[in-house]
Amino acid sequence: MTLTLRGIGYRHAGAPRPALLDIDLDLADGTVVGLAGASEAGKTTLCLVASGLAPRTVGGRIRGTLHLDGENVDRWPMHRLAERIGIGFQNPATQLSQVAGTVFEEVAFGPMNLGIDRDEVIDRTWEALEAMGIEALAERDPERLSGGQQQLLAMAGLLAMRPEHLVLDEPTAQLDPAGTALVADAIGRLARSGTSILIAEQKTDLLAAVAGEMVVLAEGRIVLRGPTAEVLADPRLDEVGVALPSAVRLRRAALAAGLDPALVAETAA
Amino acid sequence: MAGSVDLIEGRSLPAAIGRPGPSAVHRLNPLTKATLATTTSVAAVVLGGLVGPLLLVAVAVVLPAIAAGVVGRLAKTALLLALPIALSAFLVNVFFFPGAETVLFRIGPITATAEGLGFAFEIMARIMAISGAVTLFYLTTRPADLVLDLERRGVSPRVAFVANASVQTVPAMVERAAQITAAQRARGLDTEGSPWRRVRGIVPIVGPVILGSIAEVEERTMALEARAFTRPGRRTLLWSPADSRAESLVRWGLLIGLVALIGLRIGGVLA
Amino acid sequence: MITRWLAALVGFIVVAGIGLVVGNFSEEQAGNSWALVAAIALAVGFVVYAGVEYAQTGGFASISSQFGMRTLALMPVAIAINIILGAAVANALKVPIYLDSIGTILVGALAGPIPGALTGFVANILWQYIIPPPFQGAVAAPFAIVAAVIGLLAGLFARYGALRPRPDRPMSQLFSGAVITVAVVGGVSWLAFLGYEQIIGPAGFEVASDETLFVILGWLALAMVAATVVGLIVLLFVRRDLTAAYVVVAGLVTGVVAALISAPISANLFGGVTGAGTDFLVAAFRQAGADIGAATLGQGLISDPVDKITTFFVVYLVLNAMATRTKARFPQGERLIEGGAEVAEEGDEWRGAST
Repeated sequence: MTLTLRGIGYRHAGAPRPALLDIDLDLADGTVVGLAGASEAGKTTLCLVASGLAPRTVGGRIRGTLHLDGENVDRWPMHRLAERIGIGFQNPATQLSQVAGTVFEEVAFGPMNLGIDRDEVIDRTWEALEAMGIEALAERDPERLSGGQQQLLAMAGLLAMRPEHLVLDEPTAQLDPAGTALVADAIGRLARSGTSILIAEQKTDLLAAVAGEMVVLAEGRIVLRGPTAEVLADPRLDEVGVALPSAVRLRRAALAAGLDPALVAETAA
Repeated sequence: MAGSVDLIEGRSLPAAIGRPGPSAVHRLNPLTKATLATTTSVAAVVLGGLVGPLLLVAVAVVLPAIAAGVVGRLAKTALLLALPIALSAFLVNVFFFPGAETVLFRIGPITATAEGLGFAFEIMARIMAISGAVTLFYLTTRPADLVLDLERRGVSPRVAFVANASVQTVPAMVERAAQITAAQRARGLDTEGSPWRRVRGIVPIVGPVILGSIAEVEERTMALEARAFTRPGRRTLLWSPADSRAESLVRWGLLIGLVALIGLRIGGVLA
Repeated sequence: MITRWLAALVGFIVVAGIGLVVGNFSEEQAGNSWALVAAIALAVGFVVYAGVEYAQTGGFASISSQFGMRTLALMPVAIAINIILGAAVANALKVPIYLDSIGTILVGALAGPIPGALTGFVANILWQYIIPPPFQGAVAAPFAIVAAVIGLLAGLFARYGALRPRPDRPMSQLFSGAVITVAVVGGVSWLAFLGYEQIIGPAGFEVASDETLFVILGWLALAMVAATVVGLIVLLFVRRDLTAAYVVVAGLVTGVVAALISAPISANLFGGVTGAGTDFLVAAFRQAGADIGAATLGQGLISDPVDKITTFFVVYLVLNAMATRTKARFPQGERLIEGGAEVAEEGDEWRGAST
């Protein structure tokens, strides 16, 4: 089930200029696409459009088409899209439903809303908890978890709905280093298990680790795309304000200092 | 369908969910306890006088509290709850009851009267009944359980959401206020001192709390839509509190009794 | 559609009629009973409206369309604000105001009269029955209907543009705004005083005891009115925002209506005493010789307008601090934005949400 964006343009309500223009993107099963770009480049907006929240929930105007496995989803209401595409956000705390007393009930929230059989709700919830490695937290109070744990919880809540694609908008942006490591690990595991993910990040290290291909945005347009290694080695990254992953920076610094990059990398590892 | 947590084929719910309470009263259906609290409160008002409310306190509040093993906590909490009103009611009515004739004593221009005292006691008895009933409910029922029971009976998931989320938001907002207070203090905000200064000190705290909470509404809306909350129709419930025919009869009995009481009152049978 | 409104109107009239026949309209109680009857009739009217719509369409679309996810997510925040501030003021600050309607009026302004009414209603019920100590209120639930009416009025005021910013108006406009508002405040105050005299007068109170106190009370009420007028003028001319005048009028009307409805509830259920700072005022009126009903009404007519004007101002400030984009997404948001709705450019290919 491929998610296809063609000619997508988007303008926020009341905004004079479009936030996105001429976006063509394919998200195929089992692929992880990294989305990079300076802040305000349009990463979040693209995530909102890809998940359907824009324009359904946040208003604004859209142009172009969104297809799910060939079917145009323009007329689909948000709750129908939510079953097929899950979206996670930066702030771990505001993704909590605030109606669940335990982690288990929080994860079960999505499947419960879908009206599926109770036994299946329970099964899916345990599966999602295990996929994120947080089954031991099942009886804990969601409000009392760390930021990183809450992000894992949020992703488990999405996975429990068994979406075909996962869109993650800067999942580690508001986490401390411990939380970032926790979430980065989990995303790595998801990627390796074949989940289709579109992940936006400022931390290109993370993208380098999990994404097979990358797309770079600047001022609402795609300026670079291709396999991750190529994109990250492209000299134009600097111009568009994307921070290079530490490995690449190390390599360049070594070269500039006249040292052998391979040796430096080995020593640093 | 109603029922406590069952063990099902495959996986079961974690033990903490739907765990029954420690006493028979705790294990009663939440709606039954809510009906008891409401009818007791309203009956205390309708009955008026002194004997009626006190009788209600004894039968509908203290007795179940003993059965539930929460008498101590009930007494403490209910008294704390009722104290400000009781005090005010006492002072205002004893001293400021116009048209009263039996004077007890005077303090300057203010007169204490026996009729005022009598009326004060009546009001206090009524308040004891109400706060006692409400506290008993709070001590033996989890709010989320009541909302769940109502949802099972057909209340819209949206209403259930607002009720549950409100209960969780109050302590969360208080914590946020505490954090902002600490941060503002670190920046030199003065929160001690004269009442005027304290009131002025509230503004830099209340403002960010309110605005911050409202700003979050947008993110929460998106997150809830992303979990298909707006899907029309019923949603599956993980469990619901047990109910029985006997309890249903009790609930109806309480309601009918209350209506009868109101009828008697309007008809003038009761004083 | 007409059927529903007609049915609601019929329900309202029927209940009002019953109330008039059954209610206690002796001279002392007249004013209070009118208000109570009106409130109950309103509630019944709403229930009838909803019932007819359900019978017609099997749903509540015209009501629930005002309840999108955004409104639903806002309500718990508003309810929490109501409860926390209300509890803080009632328990900690012994001042004769309530400050428990900020959330209600905020929802009314952003989402509409019905969501505002429901926010107020639910907040009061939860406050007494579901919220645990120390925030639990012991007397909140009976006033749920008052809170509902407050939310309703706030929503209506906002719908008709009372809370839309009107900055940088020319002096002439500001001046006429001030004059009109002073006239309204003065007029309403005078009417309230007349009504109050009507109610207290025939009941007869012992003028012999402490006439001084009653005079003091009179001056207090006058001082409140004066402070309102002065505050209005200052805000009007310092901020040059004409909406200040609208805010005062909205707060005043809402306050008076709230006082009229809450007084009989407070008097009949709790003898006018609720453990808050307002009790001092009630005591003062009682000392001057007024009976419970009159004393409660007197206290209400002083506390409620002040409380509601303050609350409307706070809500106005909060709304101004919100980003335009955030407000616009709410059902009534466009009525709160300066200059009205923002015109979105239409293009052939640019489309909005189709669902």
